[in-house]
Amino acid sequence: MLKSTGIPTQKDLETVVPSKERLAKGPVAIMECFEKIPCNPCYTSCKRGAIKEFEDINDRPQLNVDICNGCGVCISNCPGLAIFVVDETYSETEALVKIPYEFSPLPEEGTYVTGLDREGKPVCRAKVVKVQNSKAQDRTPVVAIAVPKELSMVVRCLSLDDYYSDNTIVCRCEEVTLGEIREYIRKGYQTIEEIKRISRCGMGPCQGRTCSQLILEEIAKATGQDVADLKVHTYRQPTLPIKLGLLVGGEDDE
Amino acid sequence: MMNKTASVVIIGGGISGCAIAYSLAKKGVKDVVVVEREYLCSGATGRCGAGVRMQWGTEMNCKLAKYSIEFFETANEELEYEYDIEFKQGGYLIIAATEKEVEQFQKNIKLQNSLGIPSRYITPKEAKEIVPHMDETQILGAAFNPKDGHLNPFHTTQAYANAAQRLGVEIMKFTEVTGIDVENGKIKGVQTTKGYISTPVVVNAAGGYSQLISKMVGVEMPVFSERHQILVTEPVAPMQGPMFMSFSQNIYCQQTPHGSFIMGRGDPNEPRDLRITSSWDFLEEMAKTCIRLLPPLRELRMVRQWSGLYNMSPDRQPIYGPVKEVEGFYLACGFSGHGFMFGPVTGVVISEAILGEEPTIPVHMLGLDRFEKGELILEPSVV
Repeated sequence: MLKSTGIPTQKDLETVVPSKERLAKGPVAIMECFEKIPCNPCYTSCKRGAIKEFEDINDRPQLNVDICNGCGVCISNCPGLAIFVVDETYSETEALVKIPYEFSPLPEEGTYVTGLDREGKPVCRAKVVKVQNSKAQDRTPVVAIAVPKELSMVVRCLSLDDYYSDNTIVCRCEEVTLGEIREYIRKGYQTIEEIKRISRCGMGPCQGRTCSQLILEEIAKATGQDVADLKVHTYRQPTLPIKLGLLVGGEDDE
Repeated sequence: MMNKTASVVIIGGGISGCAIAYSLAKKGVKDVVVVEREYLCSGATGRCGAGVRMQWGTEMNCKLAKYSIEFFETANEELEYEYDIEFKQGGYLIIAATEKEVEQFQKNIKLQNSLGIPSRYITPKEAKEIVPHMDETQILGAAFNPKDGHLNPFHTTQAYANAAQRLGVEIMKFTEVTGIDVENGKIKGVQTTKGYISTPVVVNAAGGYSQLISKMVGVEMPVFSERHQILVTEPVAPMQGPMFMSFSQNIYCQQTPHGSFIMGRGDPNEPRDLRITSSWDFLEEMAKTCIRLLPPLRELRMVRQWSGLYNMSPDRQPIYGPVKEVEGFYLACGFSGHGFMFGPVTGVVISEAILGEEPTIPVHMLGLDRFEKGELILEPSVV
């Protein structure tokens, strides 16, 4: 899987994710390095000796999570951008994820961005807590973002676009924002059929093709349900808007 | 599963059920419960064409409609609704395409005027001034009442439901009634998928499913449910004020405040079961009728079609009030496609019947027993 997609599987991750107990103690590095390649700067950069000396330079790094204090020096030193630091003690509901970020421009501290998973899919809104870009980082800046705790092992990149802001338009046809949808959910409209009727979301020319999945995800998030268990709205013909003149025959659309 | 006690259980969370709950709560009745199988207005209310008109052919329907429309005029304030029920009072233009219709309309207008309804008969040229995109050569004349119009059924139902809840009504959504217990000819309680509700009073406001509910207490009703279909177009700039309608040509067509056109028609060959599927035939027939009478609309794109159930009674007038077979069982059904526009008056007269009050509009002749007695006055003006 990793070889064809570049995305580690759950099984791959099990070899690098520390125990719940260790995560509960504070920041720790996650070495998402799965390939045997001749490379060892993580080992040489760790002043605490938390990474075991490489017997063979092709070895994968071995981290002693009890020695590692999550200082994050190794993050910028990894040429493969494969090391992250996760701090699940950051707050009651959030975890801090430190990410090597070599894109330009850099995010600004205090702003909101979108947390992406390993496939690059947006998964949550995230606050930029710190951006480290000194000489020590050597052009591999480290961005620390706060994400919902349950996504600490999911978020591994970020997009500067704040997709999950209240101002984001969810339904383009009827110009309904995410903030409005959240408000309706708070008021008890907790199925997509109800939200559609109260907000017009999904009633436009696209008939919910763009918005329905986004709304379902918001409902799932707000009500603690699995999005796969939620009912979708009824699909009816036509699949694309059709001119009434076309329905009676004798003319073309466009 | 929670068992509870209620003073009144209303079956059906459409406009009728919510309006009845509101009227009861407003009169001070405590422990009113509305049971809805899905979400509010998921049945006929949320699927209807949403037009409201005073232009009827029977005195009773005229009175019921007039009362309701006068309520809609101030409903946002009366119900203290946080959004808008989107009442557009642009009138109903009902075209006369046959000599028979001309005659009927003139008779209807006389009746309507005598009841204080400001309808009038107009020439094709006058009709064209009101709806400029119509083909006036297709008509002999038209009836017009500027007080008719249409409004948003989702918001209207929600407005009632919210107001009712503020007055203490409990609305159980996604709860299905599975049985009704009757003991010694009296209502005892309602079995639902979310527990048992002990109650002496049940109101059947189940729209297209009302006959199934009545059957649960052994009451047979001479009604059937019939699919009616509708289509909606993309929104365009405002161009049509009134609801445009024809009985003989079989069309009603309105432009919502949002800009989209909504149009529907009946079909005598509709299946009389509970299906609410969509058919291609409808689209073709609807488009043909619409384009013949309102030619420029051929350029509009339809984005969706859907359907809902008319609960048809033999005389196309509602069935209201108690039944003699079961004490505590009340009917608010058989609306024959007009349940939405009668919503406010339904709420008032059913709450009065339950409380034994003098009715605002005497509706005792709309009881179920009229069919046995054969005292029917057929409503001639239905699409």
